[in-house]
Amino acid sequence: MRTLFLILLCLLVSPAPARAQDTEPPDGTRVESAEISGISGNELSPGLRHDIDGLAGRPLARPEVTQLARRIEEEQPDVVVAVRIVARPADEARVIFLVARISDDAGLGSNINARYTVESVEIEGLKEHEISAALRDRLQALVGTRLDPAAADQLVEDLKAERPGYDVTRRIERGTRRGQIRVVFKFSETEALRWIPFAKSRSKFVYHSDEGWSGLHDIPIGRRDHRVTVGFAVDDNDTLVEEYSGVRLRFETRDIGTERVAASLEASWLNNTWRAPTLAALEANPLVPDPYRQRITVEPSLTVALTRHVRASGGVSLSSLESLHQSPDEQMASAVTASLAYSQRWDRDKHTQQTAEAGYEVRTSADGLGSDLEYTRHLGRARYEFTNRHNTIIAEAFGGGITGQAPLFERFTLGDSATLRGWNKFELAPIGGNRVFHQSLEYRFHGAALFLDTGSVWDDGASHKLRASTGFGFHTEHVFLTVAFPLNAPGTDAAFMMGVRF
Amino acid sequence: MALACAAAPAIADAQSLTVRAAGDMLQVRGTGLRLIEGVVAEHLKDGRSVRVDFEMTILDKAPQGAAITRNRQSFILSFDLWEQRYAVTRAGATPRSISHLAARDAEAWCLENLSLPLAALGRFARDLPFWVRVEYRVQDEPPPAADTDSPFTLRTLIEALSRRRADEALARTFEAGPFRIGN
Repeated sequence: MRTLFLILLCLLVSPAPARAQDTEPPDGTRVESAEISGISGNELSPGLRHDIDGLAGRPLARPEVTQLARRIEEEQPDVVVAVRIVARPADEARVIFLVARISDDAGLGSNINARYTVESVEIEGLKEHEISAALRDRLQALVGTRLDPAAADQLVEDLKAERPGYDVTRRIERGTRRGQIRVVFKFSETEALRWIPFAKSRSKFVYHSDEGWSGLHDIPIGRRDHRVTVGFAVDDNDTLVEEYSGVRLRFETRDIGTERVAASLEASWLNNTWRAPTLAALEANPLVPDPYRQRITVEPSLTVALTRHVRASGGVSLSSLESLHQSPDEQMASAVTASLAYSQRWDRDKHTQQTAEAGYEVRTSADGLGSDLEYTRHLGRARYEFTNRHNTIIAEAFGGGITGQAPLFERFTLGDSATLRGWNKFELAPIGGNRVFHQSLEYRFHGAALFLDTGSVWDDGASHKLRASTGFGFHTEHVFLTVAFPLNAPGTDAAFMMGVRF
Repeated sequence: MALACAAAPAIADAQSLTVRAAGDMLQVRGTGLRLIEGVVAEHLKDGRSVRVDFEMTILDKAPQGAAITRNRQSFILSFDLWEQRYAVTRAGATPRSISHLAARDAEAWCLENLSLPLAALGRFARDLPFWVRVEYRVQDEPPPAADTDSPFTLRTLIEALSRRRADEALARTFEAGPFRIGN
């Protein structure tokens, strides 16, 4: 009965006494009587009862009535009070304090703001016409009613379903009049919906039992359209033939008139060191360019999104290499770069996702860039990931070739924390190779991982052998702990790797 | 409430939790719950509600003592945007509500409504010392700060690694004792 009473009073009565209504008598009207409904007046303190009774016979003042309603709520914290002011004959007004217990109303029990009337519904982060008419109607239907938290939450879910790629949250704010509220539905575009994603972070800290520690840390600073990334490298030997330390600075913008075009400029200052096996192999192979003690690179590029899933990039890479043996002699390794990238994700349901990525990149020295090294480098790669609840399968492959005399940082390597795991790249191919092929298959269940890697890196014209490795570990998106075994090696020494990539 | 005030309190105090006999019930009071702060407070001030599950366990010793009895209770918190005060509803078959509370008072009200019948303590209600463990867990996990372009940085990685499970992020446990109920 109490719930019915509350519903009835809330339909009939504005919960805020100060709310102006044409049918209500104006301030200054003589108050004929003041009554309390819903609880016994004896439950209130004598002083409060006296003040309520004292309204009768005096001119109506809504702030005073509001104050009395608040005093009732403060004395009786388990109730909410609405005020009804009714016009009476002879220009008089009747004031009724309608009291209801919160516990008797499920809506109020779940959110005290359910006592307030929705003044307006607003949408942030999306133009209103981008929402279907049906949902717009449902949003507007909230206006003028008491807030129904469950209905508002359901609308959030329905908006999310209609606009995948957006996060939708709702909040409530005070309205312009006391006792009224504004409901705001906020849309936030997720990164997945952008035409061109920012460059992936290269951050990682890796330990390899044969190769030691490596560290890269990118610190991105920026928001939706522009970003500056400061990157630090500490003894990174996990990526290339060389081991390097230094600093990178990368600026990216994806707001050049359209979201489908982006530009970036990266500059890096890296000091290089070389492992003894690499230096020995270089001495034995005079066709491979000399090592360097410092590498300074500048790489401007432009990316165009051909579709939501396909992007084409072009740019140049200008590198100055200070010779290790004949410093301060320098060599320029400059190339025109072009790439095509594809990425797509399918969410079959809440628990099942598939991601496919593929790309091709070519880097070639060109007349006019002043390169001392003439070369062309091709690299193609593909990756597929399938996740169903706690099961994940990852299949990955890449292959590449270099013609001409490419600098050492362009040469391919295998045998690190991501490729031919279990092999030591400084034993397998200490100066890398100009041909490479690699594939990897991995299965994860709750982070427990099993994998099989196969691949080969060699120089054109030389013999090459397919290598394989397997292992197990704990792998998540950001953390890995791996024990790996080379399969067709003379020895069976296991390699241990651990680290974070983020 | 009247019962609690009328009862001669047999109080033992340890750390931030206090217990007392209020009639035939054992009542807990405490400070420093730190429930309504941070993301929970932000969530509430956005006009949303938060459900919190409390559990009070009476132990025969600490820290790994056997449970003598326990009481579980859920509460729903919300923040009155116009009154700028918190409201709490004790969920369950006999809901009970209160509004116009400051944050610390709302937390205290949750604790007071976790009372246990003294009879359930058996001989511990008379002369044996016992310990009290109070746990709470925020069930409606507030969403993360809405910055969808926020990159994955070392800081977020550390936060991710130091977090256990998302639903455990807003949970706390308090233990205090020994307490003894006098005659």
